[in-house]
Amino acid sequence: MAAEDLPSEFDVVILGTGLAESVVAAACSRVGQRVLHLDRNSYYAANWASFTFNGLLTWIQQHHEESQPEEVQDWSSLLEEGEELIYLSYSDSTSISNLQQTADSEGVEPTADLPRPSAIQGQSEASRKKISYAQLVKEGRQFNIDLVSKLMFSRGSLVDLLIKSNVSRYAEFKNVTRILTYRHGNVEQVPCSRADVFASRQLSVVEKRKLMRFLTSCLEETEEQQGEMNIVFSLFLCDQQLGDNLEHFLLHSIAMVTEDTPTEVGLASTRHFLRCLGRYGNTPFLFPVYGLGEIPQCFCRMSAVFGGVYCLRHSVRCLLVDKDNRCKAVIDSRGQRISCSHFVVDSSYVATEQKKVTTPTRFLSRAILITDASILPSNSGQQVSMVTVPPIAAGFPVVMMVELCSSTMTCLPGTYLVHLTCQSVGSAFDDLSPVVTKMFHTPETDDQETRPSVLWCLYFNMADGLDVEVEGHNLPSNVYLCSGPDGHLGHDHAIRQAQLIFQKILPEEDFCPPAPNPEDVLYDGESLLPTGGGGGDNSGWGEKGEETKENPQTEE
Amino acid sequence: QHGRVKIKSTAQQEEEKRKEREKKLKIYIAARDACFSKRKEGICDDEALQLTQQLLSSNPDFATLWNYRREILMHLEDEVQKIYEAELSFLESCLKVNPKSYGSWHHRGWVSARLPQPDWARELSLCDRCLSLDDRNFHCWDYRRMVVKMSGVPVDQELGFTDHLIGSNFSNYSSWHYRSTLLPLLHPESPEPLCLSEYELVQNAFFTDPNDQSAWFYYRWLLGRGITKLVTCGALFLSLVFQAQSVGLLLVLDGQPQRVEWRSVHPRFKHSPVWICDLPPGTISDITNEHNLTVHWTEKHTHRDCALYTGRTESYCRDSATDQELFRSELSVEKTSVLQSELQSCNQLQELEPLNKWCLLTIILLMRALDPLGYEKETLAHFQTLKEVDSMRSAYYSDLCSKFMIENTILKMEYAEVRVFSISDKNLTTLCHLDQLLLVTHINLSSNQLQRLPPQFAMLQCLEVLEADNNNIENLEGLFCLSKLEEINLKNNNISTLADLQPLASCPKIKRLDLRGNPVTQMAKIEAELAELLPSVTDILL
Repeated sequence: MAAEDLPSEFDVVILGTGLAESVVAAACSRVGQRVLHLDRNSYYAANWASFTFNGLLTWIQQHHEESQPEEVQDWSSLLEEGEELIYLSYSDSTSISNLQQTADSEGVEPTADLPRPSAIQGQSEASRKKISYAQLVKEGRQFNIDLVSKLMFSRGSLVDLLIKSNVSRYAEFKNVTRILTYRHGNVEQVPCSRADVFASRQLSVVEKRKLMRFLTSCLEETEEQQGEMNIVFSLFLCDQQLGDNLEHFLLHSIAMVTEDTPTEVGLASTRHFLRCLGRYGNTPFLFPVYGLGEIPQCFCRMSAVFGGVYCLRHSVRCLLVDKDNRCKAVIDSRGQRISCSHFVVDSSYVATEQKKVTTPTRFLSRAILITDASILPSNSGQQVSMVTVPPIAAGFPVVMMVELCSSTMTCLPGTYLVHLTCQSVGSAFDDLSPVVTKMFHTPETDDQETRPSVLWCLYFNMADGLDVEVEGHNLPSNVYLCSGPDGHLGHDHAIRQAQLIFQKILPEEDFCPPAPNPEDVLYDGESLLPTGGGGGDNSGWGEKGEETKENPQTEE
Repeated sequence: QHGRVKIKSTAQQEEEKRKEREKKLKIYIAARDACFSKRKEGICDDEALQLTQQLLSSNPDFATLWNYRREILMHLEDEVQKIYEAELSFLESCLKVNPKSYGSWHHRGWVSARLPQPDWARELSLCDRCLSLDDRNFHCWDYRRMVVKMSGVPVDQELGFTDHLIGSNFSNYSSWHYRSTLLPLLHPESPEPLCLSEYELVQNAFFTDPNDQSAWFYYRWLLGRGITKLVTCGALFLSLVFQAQSVGLLLVLDGQPQRVEWRSVHPRFKHSPVWICDLPPGTISDITNEHNLTVHWTEKHTHRDCALYTGRTESYCRDSATDQELFRSELSVEKTSVLQSELQSCNQLQELEPLNKWCLLTIILLMRALDPLGYEKETLAHFQTLKEVDSMRSAYYSDLCSKFMIENTILKMEYAEVRVFSISDKNLTTLCHLDQLLLVTHINLSSNQLQRLPPQFAMLQCLEVLEADNNNIENLEGLFCLSKLEEINLKNNNISTLADLQPLASCPKIKRLDLRGNPVTQMAKIEAELAELLPSVTDILL
C-alpha cells in the first residue's frame, strides 16, 4: 500500500468521475495542470455510468444494502498550523432511491417460457424468440445499460466540445434513426426531416406544406413570431392553424415542451431541434456506441493522456482548510495528505451539514426495460428511436423514452433496451409503470400480444442535477461542486457546469483546445535534438514569449 | 507552463510534410519514367502492372497509364478471370482516392465488360454504395447504367431503386430523371393507375418543398410525356414554303419540273420553315390559264399542291393543324380531366404559397394546355406576379408571355381569310410564330415593348403595311427583301443611326416611312441621306 502512495502534490484534485468532473479533469490536464482524479466506486462515471446486465444487478444489490457508516477517524496528526478539517460524506445515500425490479428472476422465467395460445397464431409472434432471464444473465456482458438516459444534440455543447477537443476520437456514435410519438394508443413516426415529411403517409399534402412552412419560418426569427411572445406555445401553435396532427408533433416531439411552455422557449427549442437536424442524419440526435457511460470515460482518457492520475475505489475523507478559508490539501481514504490548489467534487460527496439548507431536491423517475421487440417494428430491425410520450392522463408527467437496438452495443441481439425518464411526481414505479403497461406487454397484462414483451424491468429515482445547488454552500472558495445528471435530454447542463468550474480555476486558459495529433507531440529529449531550421527556434521563442506575457498578468 | 505538452510548431510540421512530399515525388517520378520507357519498348509484364498500379493508386487520373494497363491486360492470356478480378479490387481502392475519376470509372467499365464471369450483383452494390455517399456522382450513374444494361436488371427493380433514392433525397434530379426513362419502358401504354400514383409521389415532393425544382421538372415531364411530334404542315403561296432545309425541295409547274434556286427569307437562316424561289422568267406568261404547282419534299416523301386559278395573281393552300400541334404545347399528352385535377391541386398549393414561382409557372402551363383563351386573364395576372417574385427572370417571363399572347391572337384569327394581324398594346417583348403569319398583309404591333424586328420577320412575305409605333425598336434586321412592303410606321422608336435603316433598302416598294420621334431624325442632313438610301420612298415623316 505504501508503495502505491500517490504523489503528495497536485494542482487540482477531482472527486467523482461523472461527466462534469471528467470534463474538468480533461480541460485542466490539457493545459498542463497536475490532476488527481478519484472515484469511490469501482467503476467510472458515477451516476452517468453504463453497466453490463450483471454489473447493474450488483449495482442494484449495493443500493439495497444499508451503507455501513465507517468510523470517523482522527486526522489531526496531519493538520498543520491553523488548519481545520471538513469531513466528506462516506457514501452516496441520497441520489438513488426507490429501486424496484418488477420482473425479477422468478417472475419472468415461467411467463417467458410458456407458449401462450395466441402467440402460436400470429406469425410475427411465433418468430419471436423468447429470451429467458437466465439467458440475460448468461449474455449479460452484451448489455451496456445507462443509469441516465440522454441523447446528444448534433449541435449541442457536448458534440461541439467533443469535436473541438478531439476527444471524439475515443468514441463512436450512431444516429438516432427516427423520432416516434405515442398518440391515441398508437406509436407513430414523427416526420421531422425533409425526407420524412416527403415520405410520410399520415400527412396530407397540405399538412406537409404547412409543417414545412412552419419549420422553415421557425428558423428565421420573424417579427410575426415576436408579436406572439406573450402567449403559451401551445396556443401559438393553435393560432397557426396547423391542425391536430401537426400541433401534436410540434409541441411534443419537435419542441419537446409542455402545454404551458412560453412561446419564446418553445420556438427556441424548435429552432435548436431544427439546427441539429441533418448534421449527421435525419434526426437531430446521436447516441454513443456502448452507451452514454463512454462519454465521461473518454474525457478521463484525455486527461490521462495529458498526465492526469486516476484512482478508482479511492476517495477523499476530508479537506484541510486554512485561515483564509481555502482548501490547502485533502486527506484520501488511505490517510495520505495530498496538497492541492483546487478541489472539484460531486455534490453527493459533500456531507449534509456543509450544505446550505435548500428546498428538497427534485427527483427524476427512471425505468429501464429489456424487451423482445421494437415498439414500432420496421423493415430494418436496427432502429434507434426517440419516443415522446405526452402525459397519459392529467397529473402525469411527460415521458421521454429511448429505445436502443443491439447495433448500439447496449443490448443482446434480439432484444431492445428501453429507457424511460420523467420528472418525478411520485415514485418511479408510480410515474412510469402506467406508461409501461400501456405500451408493452408485461407479466401483469395478458391481452394485446402485438406489443413487445418486457423481459426485465427496473424502476428507480435519481436526484435531478438541475435542482442541486452548486453555489453558496459552507465550503472553501476553491472547492467546486458538480451536480450530477440532470433530467434534460441533452448534455448542456453538465458541460456548462464544467466550463464554469474550469474558468474559475484557470480564468486565463482556453477550455479544451484541440488535442494535438500524437505524431506532433514533442517528448523530452526529442526537443533537444537539433531540428535543423528556423522551426525549432521559433517554437522556443514562442514559449518564452508566452511565459513573459503571463507573468505580469498573474502578478496583477 | 511546466507539465504542458510540447507540440511541434507549425513550421516544424510544414517542414516535415515538405520533406515527406519531396520523397514521395521522387519515387513517383522514378516510377513514371520507368513506366514510360517500358511502354516504349512494348513490354507487357507483371512488373509493368505493378508499377502502373503503384502510380495509379496515388493518382488515378493518369489516363496514359490506364491505357498502358489495358495494353498489358489485353496481352495477358492466362488466368484472365483472376487477374481481372484483382483489377476490379484495385479499382475500388482508386475510387476511394477519387470517387469522380474519369480514368478509374472508364477502366472499370472496360474490365467489367471483358470479365469472363462478371459478378454484376457485386457491381450493382458497389454503385449503390457510391451513390449512398454521393447521390449525384454522374460517373457512377453512368457506370451503373452500363451494369444494368449488361446484366439485364428488370425495369421494375430499377424503378424501386429510384423510389429508394427519391425517398432519401427528393432533390436529386438524377433519380427523377432516371425514373422518367424507366416509366415509358415499364408502361408503354401508360395505364391510369400508375400515373395517378406517380402524380401523388411528385405532389408529395413539391408540397413538401415547393422551391425545389427537381420535382417540378419531373412533373412537367409527367404532364407532357411523349415526344413532341414535328408537325409538317404548310402553306403554299405561289412560290412558298415548307418546314425543312432547302435540300430536297422540288417544284413542279403544270407537270414540268422546274430548275429553281431555293432561298430562305434571310441570309442568316440555314434552317427555316419558309423557303422562297423565283420562277424562271417566262414560265407563267399569262394568267388567263389555270396553273398547277406542286412542291415535293423528297426527303419526307411528301408534297403539296396549289392551283393558281384563272385571272388570279395569288393563291395558297394550307394544311389544317390543331392549335396544340402548331404551338407545341408542353403539356399535351394527358387527358383534360387529369390536367383539370392537376390544375386544382396546383391552385391549392398556390393558395398556401402565393409567391412560389414554380407553382405559378406550372399553373400557367396547365391553363395553356386546358383553355388558352378562357384563362387569358388569369394567365396575365400570374405572369405579373411571376415577374415580381422572380425579378431576375422577368425578361424570360415577358418573352414567354409575349409568345402566349401571340398564340392567343393567332387562335382568334379566322384562318387564312383574315390577313390583318393586330396585336397592339400587349407588352410584347419578343415576336414568335411568325411563320404562322405568312399571308398577313397588314400587321399592327404598336404600343408594345419590342426592341427589334428579328430576321424571322422577313417571313411575312405578303406584308404591305407595318405599324410598329411606340415601341423601343432599334434594329430592323427583319425588314429584309419584303417585296410587297409599302408603308412603315415606326413613330416613337429607338432608331438612332442610318445604318439601322440599311435593311429597308432591300424592300423595293416602300413608299411611306414614318420615323417621327426617333433619335435618327436629329442627325444632320438626314433627309438627303434617306433619299439616297431609299429612293423609292416618296413620303418620309421626320
